[in-house]
Amino acid sequence: MTYIIILIVSAVAQYFLPWWVIAPIAFAIGAWKSETALGAYAAAAGAIATLWVGYATFLNSANEGIMVQKIGGLFSENIKFLKNLPVTPTFFTIMTIIGSQVAGLSATAGYHFRQLFK
Amino acid sequence: MKLVKFIISLLAAAGLTYALNRPLGPVPALGRLFSPFEGFWQNGESKLDLPPTDLQLDGVQDEVNVVFDDNRVPHVFAKNDHDAYFTQGYLMARDRLWQMEFYTLAASGRLAEVVGERALELDRYSRRMGMADAAKKVYENGKTNKIFDEVLNAYAAGVNAYIKQLKYKNLPVEYKIIGYQPEEWSPYKTILMMMNMRNVLNGGSDDFRMSNALSKYGMEVVKDLFPNYPSNESPIIPVGTKWNFTPVPVPAVPAQTTATLSTSETVAFDVPQHSPEIGSNNWAVGGEKSATGLPILANDPHLQLTLPSIWYQMQLCTPTMNVYGACLPGAPGVVIGFNKDVAWGVTNVGSDVMDFYQIKFKDNTKKEYWYNDAWKPTSMRIEEFVVKGRPESLKDTVYSTHHGPIVYNAASDKNFNQNVPVGHAMRWVAHEKEGTDLMAFYYLNRAKNYDDYRKALTYYVAPAQNFVFASNQNDISITPNGKLPLKWKEQGKFIMDGSNPAHDWQGWIPVDQNPTVKNPPRGFVSSANQFSADPTYPYYLGWRFAPSERAIRINERLERMQKATVDSLRMLQNDNFNVEARRILPVLMKILNADSSETKNPAYQTLAKWNMKNDANEVGATIFERWVKELRYTVFDDEFPMKDLKAPMTYPSRNRMWDMVVKEPTAKWFDNVSTKNKQETLQDVVKQSFKASIDSLTQKLGPMNAETWAWNKVKSTDINHLGRLPGFGRQDIPNGGGAGIVNATTELNGPSWRMVVQLDKGWPKAYGLYPGGQSGNPASPFYDNMIDKWAKGELNELLFMKSKDEKSSRISGTVKISKK
Repeated sequence: MTYIIILIVSAVAQYFLPWWVIAPIAFAIGAWKSETALGAYAAAAGAIATLWVGYATFLNSANEGIMVQKIGGLFSENIKFLKNLPVTPTFFTIMTIIGSQVAGLSATAGYHFRQLFK
Repeated sequence: MKLVKFIISLLAAAGLTYALNRPLGPVPALGRLFSPFEGFWQNGESKLDLPPTDLQLDGVQDEVNVVFDDNRVPHVFAKNDHDAYFTQGYLMARDRLWQMEFYTLAASGRLAEVVGERALELDRYSRRMGMADAAKKVYENGKTNKIFDEVLNAYAAGVNAYIKQLKYKNLPVEYKIIGYQPEEWSPYKTILMMMNMRNVLNGGSDDFRMSNALSKYGMEVVKDLFPNYPSNESPIIPVGTKWNFTPVPVPAVPAQTTATLSTSETVAFDVPQHSPEIGSNNWAVGGEKSATGLPILANDPHLQLTLPSIWYQMQLCTPTMNVYGACLPGAPGVVIGFNKDVAWGVTNVGSDVMDFYQIKFKDNTKKEYWYNDAWKPTSMRIEEFVVKGRPESLKDTVYSTHHGPIVYNAASDKNFNQNVPVGHAMRWVAHEKEGTDLMAFYYLNRAKNYDDYRKALTYYVAPAQNFVFASNQNDISITPNGKLPLKWKEQGKFIMDGSNPAHDWQGWIPVDQNPTVKNPPRGFVSSANQFSADPTYPYYLGWRFAPSERAIRINERLERMQKATVDSLRMLQNDNFNVEARRILPVLMKILNADSSETKNPAYQTLAKWNMKNDANEVGATIFERWVKELRYTVFDDEFPMKDLKAPMTYPSRNRMWDMVVKEPTAKWFDNVSTKNKQETLQDVVKQSFKASIDSLTQKLGPMNAETWAWNKVKSTDINHLGRLPGFGRQDIPNGGGAGIVNATTELNGPSWRMVVQLDKGWPKAYGLYPGGQSGNPASPFYDNMIDKWAKGELNELLFMKSKDEKSSRISGTVKISKK
């Protein structure tokens, strides 16, 4: 349930608000709904991972993957080890880590916040 | 315990979010950049990416219709001029905003604000050259012309209408990557864009290199090796053309024509020299030479090739004009193009319009300098630099004399552009505050005949251009045009004496006395950046123009051409014949084959069989180009070192060198002065340089083979991203050409727009393309879609519409813009 709510609320919110809105959303819903710290983390991280990967996949296929290739070329000129990695999976992975960690940690913090009042 | 857990988890979450939301050094805010809702994923484009079919904008006065064709070129149909320029600004911003702003940041010396420390020296140089200052004055002065002011403001309003509705997620991806936001546009910024062109095309000087040569070898040698007119010229205005005017008096040549360089004077260097690659071709054939009986005009301006491209195609139609052509992102109107009745194009005039004066200061405060037997006060201005990543701004003091700014004033300065002498003032035409250049294009866009063309040219200041013209009344013409200083002979060939009033620029060549020719007997006009006119022209324009080879080739082919068609002119634009090889290769080969062992060398055999064309797959071109470079280095670098830190000079021209090889084979310059007790002859240096060329090519490419030694592999044309973002350019474009070739494609420069227009009593037929695409978005299919066709030398037929309702299978979308 936490997973679904975070997914829907943050999808709507990110259309209007900056990307970091996923942090307060995950915090609030983590505080409201989660029963364990791990559960809070997993639901929020999973929700944002699903949402970001899903939306990015849509955008990427609409663009036939040109943008991510260009960005990949740009980054790998500066960060050499990226040169040996396939661009698209690498960039999806980096994106997933960023989104899911921010959401997951925020939801965990939300859960612990709630515990203060129990 | 609960509290500790909360605080730790909160810190982790907040800390990570915060860290990902702010730039770290050169790395932009990663959270925002990677978020699919805002970041680079949003910049992916699938198809044409047109504006919504019904667009409401604050600022248009009436309904505007924009038709997009299959190459994503907008055709703007407006009911008044204001709306046309407004829409032009809006659409250019939509496609090229980042690029437009980048030019203005470069010209105004503000790149360090967005990219940090590494642009600081370049910025300092731009500020000291005073381009931002000049741009302000140009606009202040120009806005007294009501039309000029209205056009610039309408354009700026259009750009701003686009900027205003931009959200982060729609920003051009370069802003996201580098991490900054676009600023408001203004007429001043359009002028800055034009300043950028003045700098690219007129911002070079050989003065102190020449002064160094003069102080080492004396006037006799300099006159001999650096003549004021080449032996093989084919000037723009055909030899024998009458000058139909009474010349104004030219200032007398003073007794002392140069500053005296003291031995302690440090001359730090590398001002871009006059760069022949940044040349261009244009020509028009008259009706008697064309298949249709009416003129055909061609133009291909050569510039450094970048993505996004320097050009943007557009059609603008209002009750006062219907014009199509190539526009500069950041500037209103069409710069190179055509309308129903006329076509025009430009190439650069290589006249000497940047001079340096040696300045004697009273003391270290630099408050006064010696001029006309008295101390004269300098003016002072403080430039402030905001540098990304630096907590406080930096300041730089710039002193100016009546000549112009002191570009560098102390030997300890870190000179970005090292070709500028220390303690020397710059006199530069780009500082002229009459800057109604855009009005020349405004009137050309509306021109109906030759007289309109002549009138339009009077508005043009700098950078001086060879304006070629053709009309459907069967007139053709060419005019090297712009504001040109009235100089005594050789004025500014060397560093001048800033205290001597006779060394000042003392006036201008009257604009109606700029060289011009209309309907010459030979039936065509042309230019390739060579000398504007032969020495019968009563004014001195400069001593070094682009080498003549392109001009010679263009003129000899046009001379022979009968029943010319669009295709014959297109093929001339792609001509790869090497005029220099025709002239000198047989001579050099004869020297080589005096030694029979050389003739067995496979490189020799390849050259002997070479068709003298710099075609993409030719190995002969690779060897010849390398050899000529090596030979010039071998002959001259010992006496005229280009890269010497203390006193750099410049080599005599290739033309001068070939004259020497043929007519003065025993000249002392062939000897290498750094080998003691050995006297090298012409034969020695020809052989040495040939061997050195083959050795270095072999070392780099492996043993000679048709694949790896092919000219296009070695020349390797790259079209890099304007901001040098790796991965955003296109490398190793397969094509032929070269610096002295009509198809002037080199490593980084080349034909930045190719156009051929066939005039017609009814409706013209036009063809053109540029190596890029209409969209500035690297993820758009229209970012670089014209490059492959360009490399093959093909052209697109341009859709020149009569009205917005014209039917065409090439129309791919329409947009109606109305008042909000």
